[in-house]
Amino acid sequence: MQAFVKQNALNIVIWALLLTMPFLMNAVGGYTQLGTQVVVLGLAAMALNFLLGHTGVLSFGHAAYFGLGAYGVGLTIRYFEQSTLLGLLAGVVLGAVAAAVIGPLIVRRRGVYFAMVTIAFGQVFYFIAVRWNKVTGGDDGLTNWARHDINLGFTKITLVNEPIHFYYFALFFFAVAVAIMAAILRSPFGRVLLAIRENERRTRFLGINVNFHIWASWLISCTFMALAGALFALQNNFVDPHSLYWTQSGIFVIMCVLGGMRSFWGPLVGAAIYVVLQDYLSSVVSDYWQFFVGLVFVAVVLFFPRGFMGALRRRTAE
Amino acid sequence: MSFLDVDNVSKHFGSLIAVDGVSMKVEKGECRAVIGPNGAGKTTFFNLITGMLPLTTGRVALDGQDLAGIDPSQRVKMGMARTFQITEIFPEMTVRENIRIPVEVQAGLHMSTRMPAHLRGPLNERVDQLIEEGGLTRIANRYAGELSHGDQRACEIMMALALNPRILLLDEPTAGMGDDETYAVARLIKRIHRESHMTIVLVEHDMRVVFNLADKITVLAEGRPLAEGTPAEITANEKVQSAYLGGEA
Amino acid sequence: MTQLILFNVANGLIIGAFYALMAIGLSLIMSLSDVINFAHGGFLAVGAYLAFTLTPYVGFWGGLLLAPVLTAIIGLIVEKFLISRVYGRDPLYSLLLTFGLAFMFEDGTRWIWGAQSLPYEVPSWLMQPLSQQYFFLTGYRLFMIALVAIAVGGLFYVMSKTRLGLRIRAGTLDLETVSVLGVNVRVLRNLNFGIGIYLAGLAGVLAAGQLGLEPTIGASVIMPSFVAIIIGGLGSLTGTLLGGLLIGVASGLTGVFLPPASEAVIYVMMALVLLVRPQGLLGEEGRF
Repeated sequence: MQAFVKQNALNIVIWALLLTMPFLMNAVGGYTQLGTQVVVLGLAAMALNFLLGHTGVLSFGHAAYFGLGAYGVGLTIRYFEQSTLLGLLAGVVLGAVAAAVIGPLIVRRRGVYFAMVTIAFGQVFYFIAVRWNKVTGGDDGLTNWARHDINLGFTKITLVNEPIHFYYFALFFFAVAVAIMAAILRSPFGRVLLAIRENERRTRFLGINVNFHIWASWLISCTFMALAGALFALQNNFVDPHSLYWTQSGIFVIMCVLGGMRSFWGPLVGAAIYVVLQDYLSSVVSDYWQFFVGLVFVAVVLFFPRGFMGALRRRTAE
Repeated sequence: MSFLDVDNVSKHFGSLIAVDGVSMKVEKGECRAVIGPNGAGKTTFFNLITGMLPLTTGRVALDGQDLAGIDPSQRVKMGMARTFQITEIFPEMTVRENIRIPVEVQAGLHMSTRMPAHLRGPLNERVDQLIEEGGLTRIANRYAGELSHGDQRACEIMMALALNPRILLLDEPTAGMGDDETYAVARLIKRIHRESHMTIVLVEHDMRVVFNLADKITVLAEGRPLAEGTPAEITANEKVQSAYLGGEA
Repeated sequence: MTQLILFNVANGLIIGAFYALMAIGLSLIMSLSDVINFAHGGFLAVGAYLAFTLTPYVGFWGGLLLAPVLTAIIGLIVEKFLISRVYGRDPLYSLLLTFGLAFMFEDGTRWIWGAQSLPYEVPSWLMQPLSQQYFFLTGYRLFMIALVAIAVGGLFYVMSKTRLGLRIRAGTLDLETVSVLGVNVRVLRNLNFGIGIYLAGLAGVLAAGQLGLEPTIGASVIMPSFVAIIIGGLGSLTGTLLGGLLIGVASGLTGVFLPPASEAVIYVMMALVLLVRPQGLLGEEGRF
């Protein structure tokens, strides 16, 4: 028992915080929606980090799949079916299909070139969202739809106007997604992904088709990204085309770095720091908060490159 | 037909001819060394065998199968494992993890998102066995990136062996090592050759290693075959002597 | 109809020339320093606004001459004190650094010059249409094309004939050897960055006259510039020039037939190129 606690101390702390977040938020004067944002954007950052930190592939275009998930759920609920769960599924499928199709075009690229191709590809979806006014609402975003309560037959989950319920709804999907990613990373397949990060050439000379593995990792990463985007849209009952603009991709990357890319939980920590910081900045320097976000990027790169968890680990190691 | 049959291969880089009409037949269970003065085309020749570079002319066959058009990672699957002049390992993983990955790949698990329960025990045993054979037991839980040159090389060789290859290709296995490390690595290769009758081809510049290990030696000079024979024959060969003396003068 | 098509092709060529100027600079920096300069659009905006500020004092021609040079000097400083510090580290960090700079430039210009669009005066004789029938062929448009041609021609001359250009080209192929031969790689990368930013600043001044001044002008051209590089082939300046003009014209023509798709079409072209010729039209396979 003691050994278990010692080995899983970090996991226990993180889950305890996540499970009590709405109450903690109230205690420190925050609000539940802020906690939901941490969970949803944390899932997005962890999904990106599956590719970025654990497979070692420089993806800079992940906002596109986040946005596709968001539009998937919004369009489904607005035009087809008043069902939260069906919309969620549609969002995830939309993101996954787009990633699966684009994947083969980009997996042969590496390094900064991969970054450039992924971020450029993301723009297609942005322009579709902005220009296809009639359907997507264009620049104003997709409105006139909202999440619904879920009727499971034996019981009903009320999500409308219940931020705390929605928090636990989002946390449930977060937990499933994170558990799947953790299980994959501990499996033989996951170890091959880590091997690609460590040394691509060696991995190729173990007889591995590296491009195919990167494609698979990209697909997994983008699928969970779409899930996060769909949850984000459900939280706001709104889809903003800027959620798939290229600058948003950079923000997901900075979350990973801010928290620590080499750590499993790092991106969640990074997302939490970012959400709180953004909330604070936009209240203090409302018009120019983006300038200070840029300053944070520069400062992290120059002074804090290993991120929060990286610094923590180094300190405990010493 | 020989096990590894390299037939009249050439490699041109534009107008530069790096390898010019070299043939080599390696039998099953043989340890073959490829030597030559600097610029003899050893590394290019090696890369032609492993498929890192495409052939300009000629043909390479393994166990009767022509390897034309087969890319390096597929050649590995066909049983052709290799190590590199500059050691290629997974630096931020422990030695055990370094060995474990090729063991799992060899078991066909590289796409599995779950470890089948019945394989857990046998694969762990296999990892332990390879660690022990490589003399890595005492450092099994250290990060590979922190190890000495010689230990990293031993780790890399055991990673290649974990794939159960039919032929092992070693590119300058003792490059950049001191005497003690060179001796340890040479002893490891010799033991692998003796105990598992592994077919080995190695490019090497250290003559003590070559004469200690090789059953037969192929000598290249300026991209062309100069001589081939047992260590004793090569020592006695006047052309080889003058090429080496000429190369060093 | 013919006139409409010609109008859009002409417009496309001009926009394409901007993309090409931007893309060539980006490509130079990327090839030699392995850095994607996300702040490139920010430098374009700085060039445009500097020209706006300088014009009352030095006139249109003085602004045209000075603004790109000042922008390039800012570029040299940014490279020396910020970007050069992350060379040799994981390329991720250089991307994040320039990404942050892009944010800072955009909000910084908004801070200094305001968020609303500003008028930028071009000499009126340059704005006269040259022909009644083809009213869109103003002198300024031809002048822009001529200037872009001169700038690109000048760059090609520098790259193929001067010592600096030869060293830059050698450095993109094999930086280690160049450094062993005694070239100061730090200085080389700094100057190369400056050349790229000069082109961005020049594009900014020209864009100000054509499109007007807004803090977001930089952000809107950077992605198409990436597409120009990918289509043309990284490492090939001629290819990048071609890629820029090509997507400009394609975007213009799509604007005639299916206006909502005029932006998205270039990304479809990029997908096709990656599918059929992954190294780009004039790129070499195997480099990236």
